[in-house]
Amino acid sequence: MRSARSERRNPPIPFWKRARRIFLLAALACLIAAASSYVPAMNAKHNVGLGVSSVEWMRQNGGNSLVSEIENWYYELNAPEKGGRALTSLPQVGVGTDSPGSRQASNRPGNVKPLIQPSLPGEGVWRKAAAKAGPRPPVLLTTFRSDPEYPHFVAGVAWIDAGRTHLSYVPGLAEPPEPLEHRGSGEVPAAARRRLVATFNGGFPLETSNAGLIYRGKIVESMVNGIATIVEYRDGRVDVVRWHQGPRAPADVWFAKQNLPPIIYRGKLNPNLSDGPEWGETVNNAIRVWRSGLGIDANGNLLYAAANYQTVESLAKILQRAGAVRALELDINEDWTSFISYRRPGALEPSNLLPEMLRPPERYLTPDERDFFAVYVKEGGGW
Amino acid sequence: MVRLPRDISTGARSRRAFLADLLIAIVLATVAIYLAAGIGVVGFFALLALLVLGAWIGLEAAIGSLLRRRRKRSGRLRLRPH
Repeated sequence: MRSARSERRNPPIPFWKRARRIFLLAALACLIAAASSYVPAMNAKHNVGLGVSSVEWMRQNGGNSLVSEIENWYYELNAPEKGGRALTSLPQVGVGTDSPGSRQASNRPGNVKPLIQPSLPGEGVWRKAAAKAGPRPPVLLTTFRSDPEYPHFVAGVAWIDAGRTHLSYVPGLAEPPEPLEHRGSGEVPAAARRRLVATFNGGFPLETSNAGLIYRGKIVESMVNGIATIVEYRDGRVDVVRWHQGPRAPADVWFAKQNLPPIIYRGKLNPNLSDGPEWGETVNNAIRVWRSGLGIDANGNLLYAAANYQTVESLAKILQRAGAVRALELDINEDWTSFISYRRPGALEPSNLLPEMLRPPERYLTPDERDFFAVYVKEGGGW
Repeated sequence: MVRLPRDISTGARSRRAFLADLLIAIVLATVAIYLAAGIGVVGFFALLALLVLGAWIGLEAAIGSLLRRRRKRSGRLRLRPH
C-alpha cells in the first residue's frame, strides 16, 4: 500500500533517462581510464605546447587516423588561394654569397634556376650558412619561389657538402619510442657543438611511417624493402637509397632511417605521388602544409628543402630543381619542420632556414621530442 | 535463496537503480576500451559524449526550472485578491 502510494508520488525514472545516465556514466569511466594515460604523458618533459602534446598523445594511442582526418578537414578549409600578391623580395638567408671560384673547384652546385620570371634579387643564389666557414663552406643556403601558380610561396633549400661534413642521427626524447641503449638527451651533445654546422628534422614517427630504423648498427624497428632510406655507412658515407636489403641491419650500416617511398628516384619524380596507403597514416599527399624533404645530388651531397603550403609533389619538384637525384619526404606540419644553421662555431648564432619556421632556432640545443639529424664539420676541416 | 526486498523506500529504489546503471556503464566502458584502437580514441569520444550529454542535461534542467518558476508565478497571480 505504502509502496503504491510512493510510486504514485515518485514515479520510476523513464527508460530513456536511465539509458542517458548509463551512457553518461560509461563516458565518465572511459574518460577516467584515458586520463590515467593522458595526465602522466602531459607531465613528462616536453618542449612543445599542450595542444601539440595532446595531439601526439592521441596519435600514439590509436587516434592516428582520427587526427589525420581532422587535420585534412582543417587544411582543406584553410587551403591557400591561387595567385595573390607577388613578392618583391625574398627572405635573407645565410651570410654571404658562395664565390664562383670555390664553386668550380669543388663540385659546388650551380645556382637554382628561378621558376618565375623576372627573378627576384638573390633568388636561387647559394649563400654561405656561416661567416667564417672558409673557401669551401660546408653548408649553402638559398630560397626561391617554388610554384608559378602560387607566386608568394617561398622554398628554402640547403646544400650540405658530403666531403666536409659528417651526418649524425640523434634520437629524441619520445621518438623513436622503443627503448634505446644510447638515447642521449634529445639534443645536440654539448661536446659535439664545437663542430656543429646544421641540424634538421627527422622523418615521421615510426608508428605512422610503417618503416624501419637502424641505430648504431642495431635494428630498432625492422627495415622495409622499397622504402626511401637515409643511410650512413660505418665508413662515414651517407646516401639516400631505396632499401632492398631486407628487415635486418647489414654489417656496414651505422644508421638507417626510413620514411615512405622515395619521392625522387634516378632523377625522376615518383610517378605515384598521389595518395595511397604507402604514404603513411597522415594527411593526404595533396594537402598543402609545411613539408620537408632530403635528397642527394649527383655528386653525393645532401640537399634539404622545406616550405609551407606544399604537396608531396611540389616538394619533390623543389628538390628536383635544386639538383636532387634521389629524395625522400621528411617530417611535415609547422610544429616539426626545422632546418637550423649555426653561423659561428660552438652552435652560436643559430638561424632558421626560413623566417616563417615556427620552432625557435635553439630547438635542437634543448631536449626535443622527435629524432633529428645533426651535421658536423669533419675533424681537421676547420671553421 | 536470498531475494532483494520489494517493499523499499523511494530513496532505496533510486539507489538500487543507480547501482544497476553504474554496473552496466562499467561493462559498456570496458567493452569500448577493449574494442577501440587505443585509449586516445576512447578518451576523445568519451569527452565528446560527456559534452553532448552534459549540455543536454543542463539544458533540460534550465528549461525545467524556467517552467517551474513561471508556473509558481502564475499560481501566485491567481491567488492574489481582487
